[in-house]
Amino acid sequence: MEKNNVIEVENLKKNFIVKQKEKGFKGSLKSIFKPKLKVVKAVNNISFNVEEGEMLAFIGPNGAGKSTTIKMLTGILYPDSGRIKVLNIDPTKQRKKLAYKIGTVFGQKEQLWMHLTPYDNFKFFGAIYDLSKEETEKRIEEINSLFDLSKFINTPVRNLSLGQRILCEIAASLIHKPRILFLDEPTIGLDPVVKESIRKLIKKMNKEYKTTIFLTSHDISDIEKLCKRVIIVNNGKIVLDDQLINLKKQEGTLEEIISKIYKGEKTK
Amino acid sequence: MRKYTVIYMANLMSNLQYMANIIINSLGFIVHIFIFFHVWNYIYENPAELIYGFSKTQMVWYVTITEIIFCSVAGRRMVRTICNEVRSGNVAYNINKPYSYVGYIMFSNLGEVTIRLVFYVMIGLGLGITFLGSIPTITIIEGIVIAISWILSIIINMLFLTFIGLLAFIMEDSNPMYWLYSKMQLIFGIVFPLEFFPTAIQPIIKISPIFVTSYGPAKLFIDFNWRFAIIVILAQIAYLLISLGLCKLMYMKGVKKLNVNGG
Amino acid sequence: MLMEVKNQINVTLKSIKYSIMKEMLNKGTFLMNIFFMILNDASFIIQWIIIYNIKEDVGGYTFNQVLLLWGIAAGIFGVSRFLFKNAFHLSDFITNGKLDSYLVQPKNVLLAVISSSSDSSALGDIFYGYILVFLSGFTVIKFLLFTLFMITGAIIVTDIAIILGSLSFWINRSDILADTGNGLMTNFATYPDGIFKGSARAMLYSIIPVGVTVYMPVQVLTSFNYSMFFIINVITLILTFFTFFIFYKGLRKYSSSNLMFSKI
Repeated sequence: MEKNNVIEVENLKKNFIVKQKEKGFKGSLKSIFKPKLKVVKAVNNISFNVEEGEMLAFIGPNGAGKSTTIKMLTGILYPDSGRIKVLNIDPTKQRKKLAYKIGTVFGQKEQLWMHLTPYDNFKFFGAIYDLSKEETEKRIEEINSLFDLSKFINTPVRNLSLGQRILCEIAASLIHKPRILFLDEPTIGLDPVVKESIRKLIKKMNKEYKTTIFLTSHDISDIEKLCKRVIIVNNGKIVLDDQLINLKKQEGTLEEIISKIYKGEKTK
Repeated sequence: MRKYTVIYMANLMSNLQYMANIIINSLGFIVHIFIFFHVWNYIYENPAELIYGFSKTQMVWYVTITEIIFCSVAGRRMVRTICNEVRSGNVAYNINKPYSYVGYIMFSNLGEVTIRLVFYVMIGLGLGITFLGSIPTITIIEGIVIAISWILSIIINMLFLTFIGLLAFIMEDSNPMYWLYSKMQLIFGIVFPLEFFPTAIQPIIKISPIFVTSYGPAKLFIDFNWRFAIIVILAQIAYLLISLGLCKLMYMKGVKKLNVNGG
Repeated sequence: MLMEVKNQINVTLKSIKYSIMKEMLNKGTFLMNIFFMILNDASFIIQWIIIYNIKEDVGGYTFNQVLLLWGIAAGIFGVSRFLFKNAFHLSDFITNGKLDSYLVQPKNVLLAVISSSSDSSALGDIFYGYILVFLSGFTVIKFLLFTLFMITGAIIVTDIAIILGSLSFWINRSDILADTGNGLMTNFATYPDGIFKGSARAMLYSIIPVGVTVYMPVQVLTSFNYSMFFIINVITLILTFFTFFIFYKGLRKYSSSNLMFSKI
C-alpha cells in the first residue's frame, strides 16, 4: 500500500537574528548605535514526513526548535529555506487555504473570547471557518457530546477552570473537522485527571476521524500514552526519529532515556 | 536620609538606560510648544502688541516654562502605579520597611524627573531662543530663585499626584481624580496666565495649587520682581506643607484601614 | 471571491460586536467612560472661548469652524478607537507573539487583530463630535458628510497606527515611536491649519496627514467642493492599500516572540 504523507518537510531552516546587549549605560548607548548581532539557528536543516492518521510526538529540550517548527508548519512563521507541504499545501503561500484543514491548540495562548460562553465562541469559530448556521449547530452538538461540555457550555470562559478552558480550546479548534491537529504543550499546568481526559479525547479523535496528531509536550506520559512515533530535536536538528517501542528497549525509564538523548549522550 | 539618596540614585541610573524613550517622548513636548508658538504668532499681529499685559515673547515663554514643569513628571503613570499598589494590597509590604512610603514614592520618581527636567530645560530654552531669538535677562541670583521655585513646583506637583494615587484607599479608582487635576492644571494654568480669565475666576486661581505649580514659577521667569518672588516662594512652602500633610494623613488613614481588614 | 469577501465582512462585524459587548459588561463603568470623555473634550472649549475673545479669526477659522474642526477630530479618533482599538496596540501583538492565534485562522489577520478590542470612552468622542456639528448649525447634508468624513478620517488614522505599529516587525521596541506618532496626529488635528506656514504646513498634508483627515473635511463642510471631496476619498483608499502592503510585508519578518532578546 502506498504511503499517504500529510506532512512533508525537507531541509527546513530558520534563523533568528538576536540583538545582544551589554550591561550598563554604556552598553545601552552602544546597542542603539552599533548593535551586536548574533545569528541563532533555531531550526537547522530538518527533514521528516508524517503519514495520515499518525500520532507523532515532536519533542526536545527548551529552545530546541520545536515551537519554531510547528509554527512554520502552520503558517505562522516564514522559513528561511527548505520545502514544506502540509496536506499538499505550502503554508507560506496558501496560509488561509491550509487553515481550513488544520486545527491548532497552543497550551499557553488563548484563542477564545474570555467574556463569551463556549457556545458563543464555537459559533464565532463556525463563522471563521465559513460554516453555515445549521452546520455550526450540528457540529457544536457533536462536539458537546464528544467532550461532555454541557455542564459549562453556557458559562463565560473567564469563569471556567484552566482544565475546562483547555478542553474548550481543543473543542473550538475541532469545529471545522481538521485533518491534522497541532498541539503545542496542551496539558501544561493541568491536574492529572484533566490530563487523562484530554489524552482520551485526542485518542478518540484519532481513532474515529483519522485525525493526524502532531504533539509537542514536556510531559513524558503524554508521549507514552498517546504516540507511537517520536521525533526528538535538539539545537535545531533532528537527533532521533523512531518508533516509541524501539526507544523503550533501552535501559532505564522512558524519562531517563529521553533526558540522556537531550544531553547528547550516546545511546545504543 | 542616606537610604533615600540610594533610592534616588538607583532610579536615576536605571532611567539613564532608557534615554532613547525619554528622547522620543519629548517629541510631544516639542510639538506643544511648536503649536503654541504658531498660535501666538498668528494672534499677535505686531510684536509690540500687549494682550492682558503680556507680549508675544512672554506668552511663548510662559507656555514653554509651564510645559517644562508639568511634563517633567510622568503624572499619569505615577498615579496609576500608586493606585494599583493600593488596590492590590502591595502597599502593605511597605509598612514594615524602614522608610516612609511617601518618601519612597517621591525619591524613586525623582530620579526620572531629574533626567527629564534637565533634558526639557535644554530643549525648552533651545526652542525659545530659536523661535524668539532671545531669552529674558535675569541676574544670577534671580536665576537661582527661579530655579528654586521650579523645583518646588515640581515637588508640590508630585506630592499632589501621590495624594491622588493614595485616594485609592477611600475610593475605588483614583484615576478620574488625576484626570480632573491635570485638566484643571492644563486649562487654568499651563496654557494661559490667570490674567486671561474673567475677573471673577482670578482670585480662585490665585489661591489654588495652580498658582504655585504653573503660574507663579513661569511668571517669575518672564517678568521677575522680588516682591512677587517672595510671594511665590512663601506660597510654595505653604503648599509644600499642605500637600505633604495631605499625603501623610491619607496614608495613615489607609494603613488603619488595612489593619482593620487584616492587611 | 464574492463569497469570501462576504464571509470576511461577516466575521469582522461579529468580532467588533463581541469587542463592544466586552466593554459593556460593566454598565456603570461603560457609561462613566463615555461621560468623562465628553467632559474631557468639552473642557477644551474654554481654551477656544478665551482665544476667540482676543481675536475673531484664528488661522482663517471662525469659532463655528473651530467647533467643526474639533467635532471631526474627536469623531475620527472616536470611530477608530471604538472599532479598531488594537490598531493602536499592534506593536504589542507583534513583539509579544500575539499574532499566532490569528495566523492559524483562515481569515485576514490584520482585520482580526484590530477588531479584537474596543474602547468605550471612544463612544464619548463620537457623541461629542455630533454634538459639535449640531452646535455649529445642523443640515441633513452636513450630517451625512460629517459622518462620511468621520469614517474616512478614522480609516486614515487607523492606517497610520497600523503602519507605525508594523515598524515593530523590523525595529525592536518601536512602540514608543508609534505612540508618539499617534499623539502627533491628535495634537495637530485640533488647531486650525492657517496658523502653520511653509514647511510645517506642507508636513500636515504629507507625513502627518491631518490635512486630509480634518482640514479638508472642514472646508468641504463649510462650502462643498467636488475636487476636495474626491481627493479625500482617493487618498483614504490609496493609504489603506499601502497599509495592508506594509503589514503583510512585515509579517514575513514576524518571529512570534521567539528569541527576540538576549543579554550577555
